[in-house]
Amino acid sequence: MIDIETALRVLSSAGVEFIVVGGVAARAHGSARLTNDLDVVYRRTPDNIGRLATALAPHSPYLRGAPPGLPFRWDADTIRRGLNFTLTTGLGDIDFLGEITGGGGYDALVTRSKPIAVFGVEVRCLDLDCLIEVKRAAGRPRDLEAIAELEALREERERFNKS
Amino acid sequence: MMDDVAVVSGGPLEPDPVIEAYKKDIDRTLLRENLKRSVEERLRDLMRLQRFADEWRQAAQRTFR
Repeated sequence: MIDIETALRVLSSAGVEFIVVGGVAARAHGSARLTNDLDVVYRRTPDNIGRLATALAPHSPYLRGAPPGLPFRWDADTIRRGLNFTLTTGLGDIDFLGEITGGGGYDALVTRSKPIAVFGVEVRCLDLDCLIEVKRAAGRPRDLEAIAELEALREERERFNKS
Repeated sequence: MMDDVAVVSGGPLEPDPVIEAYKKDIDRTLLRENLKRSVEERLRDLMRLQRFADEWRQAAQRTFR
């Protein structure tokens, strides 16, 4: 379970540059599928990495699925040395992705995202066409049904906007 | 860097016959209802659904342990 409202507020109020992708982005567009984590692509500039490290530190980030007690330290140095982090936090499970398959990093995706006003903050969300493209590029069999739903959603949205 | 090989094109993708087959089973009434809601309402619905699923999972664990 993820406290999406608090997570988005925490990141946004800290000035972290990020794009919501994955299941939560799909849900924001109108998907009916359940997702249990929040996936975001963060910008890998030194300043942004610093902001991300500071913003999340109070929420006990830890490597998801790793045995307890590992010497994991969430700071700018760790983020700089890594790329994609699948974390459990006090806010729920969050994936911080430096890049995504078929989409690249923040700078490649930002033009394919739109700002949305939600929970009193403004966050960037990957657009529906791009969500479909990256899911198709990932080529995972378990995504087939999700892709079909997103394509159906796009058709329904076109009808909805015309009516 | 993956940015160099990004395939995000913005152009339309060819229909995939497998995805088209899956599409027949999608419940579009849910999608139409969601489209009438604001983004915030959609995300609040998701959080409610997550809480329900979590409670259900815990109840199942208590019952079948």
